[in-house]
Amino acid sequence: MLLSPVAECVLAFLFGSVVGLLVQRSRFCNTAALRDAILFKSYRNTKALLVAMIILTLGFTLFISVGAGNTLHFDVGLNTFAGLFLFGIGMVLAGACTVSTWVKCGEGNFGALWALLFTFIGMFLFSLVWSHTYWPPAPASMTGEPNLAALQLGFANAETLQAKLGIPAIFFGIIQAAVLFALYRAILRKEARGKAMHEKIAREHSTARPVLVSSAGAGGTVPQGVPATPAD
Amino acid sequence: MDLFRKTLDPVIALSAIAVLNIFMFLLIGSWTVGGGETMMTGLAAQAVLGEETLARIPFWSLVFEPDWAYWKMYISFGMLFGAFVGAVLSKEFYLRFPRRLNEWVLITIGGLLMGVGIRLAFVCNVSTFFGMTPEMNLGGYLSISGILAGAWVGSLIYKRILEG
Repeated sequence: MLLSPVAECVLAFLFGSVVGLLVQRSRFCNTAALRDAILFKSYRNTKALLVAMIILTLGFTLFISVGAGNTLHFDVGLNTFAGLFLFGIGMVLAGACTVSTWVKCGEGNFGALWALLFTFIGMFLFSLVWSHTYWPPAPASMTGEPNLAALQLGFANAETLQAKLGIPAIFFGIIQAAVLFALYRAILRKEARGKAMHEKIAREHSTARPVLVSSAGAGGTVPQGVPATPAD
Repeated sequence: MDLFRKTLDPVIALSAIAVLNIFMFLLIGSWTVGGGETMMTGLAAQAVLGEETLARIPFWSLVFEPDWAYWKMYISFGMLFGAFVGAVLSKEFYLRFPRRLNEWVLITIGGLLMGVGIRLAFVCNVSTFFGMTPEMNLGGYLSISGILAGAWVGSLIYKRILEG
């Protein structure tokens, strides 16, 4: 479907508004989805990210199978890995990613505005460096084929897989969604194990507590948390 | 309204965003933020430095030519607006400032690294998780590997700062 530039901008604004509202109300954060899983073994945001990726994988590949949708088209290579590596460090240090900087700005967070300002400065500094190195290649000079001299692997996605192998993209999408679902299930199982352990510890404490309380009440000096024996 | 009194389950919020993103994918393209931010940088640089000075930096003619009709920018403006409305209606809007000097330093370095990283990769975290990987783009897997490695290194630095 072809839309006029104004219609595209209005549609983008409406989409962004709903996203901003939902992210603000849910406190979802992409940085937290990765950082909290690594540092604190907390998966609230990670689970949401995985569910979204499952829905998107099935939706995108289904439409790609019938030749619909607007896929992203540009060559990738070492710069893709290196750029996101720097980005990953940056988002953890700044405590916000590209989404949460905008959302936190909307909540009145000046730190997020500062991060956004320096993201723009970082982009401008990169534009100066690129204008001397011309690496990674500009979109106009991308060929879609591997270019090892420029450390580029070319372009490939579900659409190209479908064209080369003659198998509908949704088939590959289902496999990827199954892998993502397995990750999601693994997190749920890990959380269930943690919850069961917490409940067990809580039960042990609640059975030990009356004895401790009665000892303390009688002027005993049993430290809290030490299981009391009947001899106490 | 319950939406503005209680925190929404992120699984529900992200599922709704994913469905909307599929419509965006069909109409104009999937959710992205980094490209729009780059265009804003170009437009800001044009306003500050002038068209002639900017024309001497090839990046702004070969990769990103400043253009107000670049739809990706308006997703970010929308997010700002939507978050503002959500924060005001739920009485969560108030001005917050980082308190300590090291917070300012971390945010500054983090912001710079995000900006350089997005432009070096041609993608941001949103395109990684909500665009390229669901399209099964080779770049999505490279990006996820990079962002996980970066988040891990960033977390180690962050932990050391927290402990130190």
